Formats: sequence, structure tokens, C-alpha cells
Amino acid sequence: MISLRADRSDIAAGARAMVPWLAGIVPFGLVIGVSAAQADIPAMAGWLTGPLIYAGSSQVATIGMLDAGAAPVIVVASALIINIRLIFYSATMARYWRGTPWWWRLAAAYLIVDPSVAVGLDGYQRLSRDRAHAHYFGGAVLLWVCWLAAIGAGATVGAGLPAWLHLEFVMPLYLVGAVVPKVTSPAQRRAILAAATVALLALSAPLQLGIALAIAAGVIAGLTAEPRR
Amino acid sequence: MSTWIVIVAVGLGSYLFRLSMVILTGRITMPAYLERASGLVAPAAFAALAAAGVAEACGGHGLTQAAAPLIAVAAAVIAVLRTGSPQAAILAGLPALWVATALLPS
Repeated sequence: MISLRADRSDIAAGARAMVPWLAGIVPFGLVIGVSAAQADIPAMAGWLTGPLIYAGSSQVATIGMLDAGAAPVIVVASALIINIRLIFYSATMARYWRGTPWWWRLAAAYLIVDPSVAVGLDGYQRLSRDRAHAHYFGGAVLLWVCWLAAIGAGATVGAGLPAWLHLEFVMPLYLVGAVVPKVTSPAQRRAILAAATVALLALSAPLQLGIALAIAAGVIAGLTAEPRR
Repeated sequence: MSTWIVIVAVGLGSYLFRLSMVILTGRITMPAYLERASGLVAPAAFAALAAAGVAEACGGHGLTQAAAPLIAVAAAVIAVLRTGSPQAAILAGLPALWVATALLPS
């Protein structure tokens, strides 16, 4: 049974377990907000990627490609390819949510994203099913609130700062920072090098197809590496 | 107009991804190679977007001014490698960009 009234301490414990994640998530949200403010799209549209798409990497691709003037179909396809991992997260959580009410599954599924799944799984492995639901909910809701607040703050601040700060370069720098530590894994290194190379070669590709081609090339290159055992 | 449609479409598709296995629970098994591939999509997308973003920042300037973003990226990479912290990329790269832009002749 889902009863959030009785599980306040588990909700609080889930929220506390999310706090370390926020150290990485809040700067990412700020950067997305800043880049949305710099991009050639309505400010509200940039912020709405938060509650609607609710997955950082896919939001970055959507905002960046819309700003570059990519064809709508290409933007949607690229952003959804980036989010295919959500299907695996969905499969992971499904086994714990079997037999729960519909309203719970509709709401809990909406909150599925990398950190909420990580915090949630930890709860499901340690606690009883009922308490773990509350644990997941506490962590996931705190993440959601902080994510939307960070994007809003970034968009507000980013819109008012002078041009010489070159805030349009914050997102490329953030992405460089996210990618560099990953080159230690052979498969990810191949994916990163192939994707960056193809993105540069395909800069003038029609319809901004270059990013989609680069992602495909990166994934294929990464798959050629031996899986880690 | 199409901006809004794109964002709503991506949002709707993402929600269906999230809901898919919760609804179809146990009726579908995903192939293993697809799971491996899905772990590579985010790094590939980040690398592609970073490369395109840096190239865009270099374009439309003189040769010397185009060097400023590259200097900033080099500073960012070095800072991340030395500190092990992804955040160091912005903290080192952005000031490097300001200095390089100010010092390089246009």
C-alpha cells in the first residue's frame, strides 16, 4: 500500500540520500539555464525543457539544436535517442512497482532519471517495499524541485549578464568537463573521439544533421570496443 | 511555434520511455547490446555537442581570435585532469577565455 503519511522518516531519508547528487546536478541545471537564456528560443521554452523533458543531456541537445536552427524532426529524433536509456531505467523500476496503484506508477515513472533511479534502487535493495517507495519519492521530488529551480536561476542570471563574459561558452566547457573523465573507459573513449570527429567533419551538414550522425558514429565506435567484464 | 512543438514532442516521448516498461512489465526483454549502446549515447552526445560548440565559437573571427576558445578548452582539459573535478572545466576555462580574448590581437 502507498501511504506517504506514515513514511515521513523514509521520505526524509530518501531526500537526504539525494543531497550528494545535488552537488553535480545543480551546476548542470544552472548551466542549462544560462545556455537557454543565450539561445535563440523563448525564455519560457528553455525553462519548460526542465519539467517536460526532465533529463539534462537531452535538454542540452534540444536547446542547442533549436538554437542552431536544426529541422524539428532531427531535434526530436536526436533528443529521444539520447533518452533511450530511460527505457532501461523503466525496466529496472518496473519490477518494484508491480501491483502498485496506477496513479503511483504514472507519477513515479515521470520522476525517473539517472539520480532518482540510483537513490531509489538503493532503497529498494535495503528496505521493505512500502518504505522504499517513500524513500524513492523523497529523493526524486527533492531532485525535481532543485533541478527546476537551478534552471530558472541560471536563465534569470544568464539573461542579465554582459556579453564579454561569453556565457554562450559555458555549455561547451561544461560538456568538456563531463567528457574528459570518461576517456579512461576504452568503449567511452572510442565513442567520444568518434563523435567529436564526426561532429567537426559534419559541421556544414544540411538540417544540422551532424549531431545525430556524430552520436550514431560514437555509439557504433564504442560498441567495437570489448565489453568490460 | 515549432520550438514549442519540438519541446513538447521530446517531453512526451521521454515520458513514454519512462512509462514503457512499468506498463509492459515482464512482457518484453531488451537485448543486451542495446543496453550497452544506451550507455554510450550520453558521452557521444556530449562530445559531439562540445565539439560543435567550440567550433562555432571559433568561427566568424580572425585567425588569432579563433585561438581564444581553443586556449580556453585546453585550460579546461588540463584543469579537469589535474583536479579530477568536472566543474573545474568552467572555473578554469571561462577566465582563460576572457584573458585570451583580451590579449590576442583582433
